[in-house]
Amino acid sequence: MTALRALVRKELAVLFGSPVAWLTLAAIGLVTALLFFDHLRVYNQILFLYASSTMGGFESDTVPAYVNLRDQVFLPVMETLALTLVGLVPLVTMRVFAEERAHGTDELLATTLLTPNQIVAGKLIAAYAFIALALGLSFVYPATSIVRAGLGLPHLLAVYLGLFGLGIALASVGLVCSAFTSSQLVAAISAYAVAFVLYDFRWLAQFLPEAAAEAIDPLSMHLRFGAFAEGLVRGADLVYFAGYVLVAFALCRLAHDQARVR
Amino acid sequence: MSTTPRGAAIEAKALTRRFGDRPAVSDLDLRIEAGESFGLLGANGAGKTTFIRLLTGYLVPSSGTVTVDGFSPIADARAVHQRIGFVAETSRLYPELRVRGFLRFAGGVRGLSGAPLRDAVDRALARFALEEVALRPIGNLSKGYQQRVNLAQAFLHDPALLIVDEPTAGLDPLQQAEVRRELHAVEGERTLLLCTHDLGEARQLTRRVAVLSRGRLVACGPTAEILGAGDPLALFRGPEVAA
Repeated sequence: MTALRALVRKELAVLFGSPVAWLTLAAIGLVTALLFFDHLRVYNQILFLYASSTMGGFESDTVPAYVNLRDQVFLPVMETLALTLVGLVPLVTMRVFAEERAHGTDELLATTLLTPNQIVAGKLIAAYAFIALALGLSFVYPATSIVRAGLGLPHLLAVYLGLFGLGIALASVGLVCSAFTSSQLVAAISAYAVAFVLYDFRWLAQFLPEAAAEAIDPLSMHLRFGAFAEGLVRGADLVYFAGYVLVAFALCRLAHDQARVR
Repeated sequence: MSTTPRGAAIEAKALTRRFGDRPAVSDLDLRIEAGESFGLLGANGAGKTTFIRLLTGYLVPSSGTVTVDGFSPIADARAVHQRIGFVAETSRLYPELRVRGFLRFAGGVRGLSGAPLRDAVDRALARFALEEVALRPIGNLSKGYQQRVNLAQAFLHDPALLIVDEPTAGLDPLQQAEVRRELHAVEGERTLLLCTHDLGEARQLTRRVAVLSRGRLVACGPTAEILGAGDPLALFRGPEVAA
């Protein structure tokens, strides 16, 4: 465990030693803040229109049910935050294995007490920890809206659990792409391509027979995240996201072993 | 009363490693005694680095075996890695990490923690005169300092076998002298496997050498004997030329 802990710490130190990590954190914080305040502004304008009798508007008690903080501010912000993760996570994961191989430092790791499983696990844990940190930074604005909207903490936690699931699924895709190449550019581009396909299959439906489209639809990350966004925490969705971790671990281990026998 | 020499013994038997059809190491038989300072010589592409990678378990042999104190780097990786300190070229460090942070990592992945780790890092910083730069990122250091960091990480866990791959490549003469002084001090303390194509370095630091050419062992014996007589460069060129 000492060796694994040392590796995780090193991975995080290397990550935070590059501008990519800081830019990613800044981008997530900035995007969340901008989106939150922009949606809040629009929401307040709508409320004002409904409430303002001098503008010939409606009485405040006639505000329709769908005009609320949850639907007008919270859910759209979370939806866009999910998309932001698709754009940013591959930038964080692209270097994890690829850079190690390109610089030859994987050879140094291979002479330590770390087992191949620990090397892969350490890198995955560090990447997932970074995702958790990035999401933690975005927590404050949605928390405000949830408290004001009276939706309660469980809903907020469900959404963040979904976002974390989405984040680790995207990170898993990026890590696998990084494990099979020594080029960060190739790792990033392939991660974007795979994540783009896996994020939402619905665009594929028009090219596929209906039965096939229906069969692959449940595999879409976006669909799984959607349930959490509604405040639903379902076992099947948790298993779905956990599956990414297991598959990523197995494939990264395969890449590690292939490098030794190739 | 006999005393066990400090260091680890290395033994390769019919060791072969191919990349596709191309043999990088071919049918290599070699024994390096515990505590010996041994040089592995050869031109670029001769198979020196491949041999080291097989020895550390980074690569799997195509056939044959290699062991450290009787342990296989594949089947008994932990036992082998506990005995190994590995110094690669300077570029194989993490430029983003600070020197002390890197050494803490290097000690941690070799099983050190708490006070023993702190002590080992402090000792390494002092031994290699790195205290002044302990908080600087490795990438900001000169090549000479980077190589000192590289050496320091390999000594942290007091390994029985020090494997050093081209330790002075790219260093200026002063830095080369510094690194060689450190490696010279290893003699008798532990086994030194020096991989180099610098004949002067081999003469200065090793008692026995093996010469590889195109993956094959073409000569093995006392350094003075192998490098002292005739044209040692002929050995580098290949078996048919050497013959």
